[in-house]
Amino acid sequence: MISSLHRILIIGRNTLTEAVRQKVLSVLLVFALIQISSSIFISQLATPDLDAAGLFAEQIKLVKDAGCGAIGLFGFFIALLSTALLIPQELDKRTIYTILAKPVRRAEFLLGKFLGVVLLLALCVALMSLAFAATLYWQESIGLATVEANYGQVGDWQHNAHAREMHDNDVALIIHQVRDPQLVEAIVLIFAKIIMTAVIALLISTFATSWIFTIITTFLVYLIGHGEGMARTYWLAHGAETTIWQSGLIGLIALLIPDMNSFTIVDEILAGHQVPWHDVLNLLCYANVYVIVLLAVSVVIFDYREL
Amino acid sequence: METSAIAAPPLAVETIGLTKRYPLTWKRKVLVALDHLDLQVRQGEVFGLLGPNGSGKSTTLKLLLGLIVPSEGEARVFGLSPDSLEARNRIGFLPENPYFYAFLNGDETLRFYGKLCGLSGAKLEKRIEELIDLVGLQNGRERPLRSYSKGMLQRIGLAQAMIHDPDLLFLDEPTAGVDPLGSVQIRDLILRLKKMGKTVIFSSHLLEQVQEVADRVAIFSLGKKVLEGSLESLLTVNQSTQVLIPTEMTPQQQDKLRQFIAQGGVDEKEIRFTRPHLSLEQLYLRTVQNQPDVAPKEQSRP
Repeated sequence: MISSLHRILIIGRNTLTEAVRQKVLSVLLVFALIQISSSIFISQLATPDLDAAGLFAEQIKLVKDAGCGAIGLFGFFIALLSTALLIPQELDKRTIYTILAKPVRRAEFLLGKFLGVVLLLALCVALMSLAFAATLYWQESIGLATVEANYGQVGDWQHNAHAREMHDNDVALIIHQVRDPQLVEAIVLIFAKIIMTAVIALLISTFATSWIFTIITTFLVYLIGHGEGMARTYWLAHGAETTIWQSGLIGLIALLIPDMNSFTIVDEILAGHQVPWHDVLNLLCYANVYVIVLLAVSVVIFDYREL
Repeated sequence: METSAIAAPPLAVETIGLTKRYPLTWKRKVLVALDHLDLQVRQGEVFGLLGPNGSGKSTTLKLLLGLIVPSEGEARVFGLSPDSLEARNRIGFLPENPYFYAFLNGDETLRFYGKLCGLSGAKLEKRIEELIDLVGLQNGRERPLRSYSKGMLQRIGLAQAMIHDPDLLFLDEPTAGVDPLGSVQIRDLILRLKKMGKTVIFSSHLLEQVQEVADRVAIFSLGKKVLEGSLESLLTVNQSTQVLIPTEMTPQQQDKLRQFIAQGGVDEKEIRFTRPHLSLEQLYLRTVQNQPDVAPKEQSRP
């Protein structure tokens, strides 16, 4: 058991090293970091007729939307590309033969490769989150400096209780918007969604004969996964009208394809609504179960695959 | 006093009716890549698999490595199933035209494969040193594999195949794309492995090389083994005699000798006199190996 885990770790580390040294992924990551940092300019699109603090709160929300959006989007592409190419590259270069000719089980090989992708995605999300945090901090500094400057023009506001209260409220509003602990929840959920995308791509690549098929099919599953929630809502609302075939089909889709729409809870967080950790943990458990089940199915399919 | 017969070494590889079929769904046909192969290779033997492309050599090796599942029959390696970890602990494999992780250098590559085989620490580092020396890759230790020549890739491939000191080596076209000198070095390595008591099963298109190293060969055609045996028994031309005389004979001397042999009842027209020839490989190696070493030496930057 320990040696098995050891082999999975060795293959995982090698996969991570390979991905890190791949230029395409590095370029994608740099692009993501630029996109996140430049979101500060997007924030200038905020409604200009708000007061200073309101304007900055709006701008910070735009930075948060753009930042989380970029992490999700680039994370999705990095997950899709790196996972879809995992098995085909090994087969094309025949490196898989040299590994499986050693005392390594196929399951260990596949899990090791997936571990490498998970580590890569964790690294990418961590780097993008750092860039996001830095951008938010930058936006906060600009906001606070502007508030101070605005009040400075008013004059002796520090001795005016009402003005002082307004100043403190403005500062608190900006700080509250930036240092929102719920952002951690949002990032964790985005990461979970990216990992789910990766595991879907891994499952498809275990039987696909080309990486293009894997990418297209994963993308379709991802889209269906988003539509699935809406379909279920419709089904529940019109339960009496659906036939047994429609119910069966929707049930089957729900079983086979993960409900990606559940992750729109991130939008709730970004909109400033309180989402308890309990709900986040529920969603993480759901994602975890899906990842484990899809990994198990991938291992079984890969075990029977002719190499 | 009669001497007791020496027991044959145990089997390293055995296949019984080993068959691999690939269904060609679109054409509604079945491709038989390997057809009922019965094969026995004993421990310590060097066994050559010969045959044109698509004759079933690589399929045989893949089946013996457990990379593909037989459609019929079975294969045993040291009496074990080929896909068992116990069997793979005793097997080393060099695939045809191997590519390795191009981003790793020579040492990192061997370290990666060594760790997969459970080696670590000083033992692994010592093994890497030994193998780098054995395959002559001192100048490739720090270079990424993407900068390796074909011959260097083949050598690092051999080194990774031997990292865990296996008892049995499968080498799929080990000299493919390698220059004649590198090819001879690989041949010498196979001979050295044989002296170490290792079993080597290899496929090759270079028949002369196979002849130089293999104890036995099997010839494949269209997925079937059509011939098998020791080189001695397969290559000896029966009912004829070759005499090698280390001087050039004049036509008169040849006539006299012809008449003398004909007295023994041999038809004079069947007796031929020829000059022995070097093979092109022998000529090349003699020429290249006698040249002084004029390879450009590495210089340190000023």
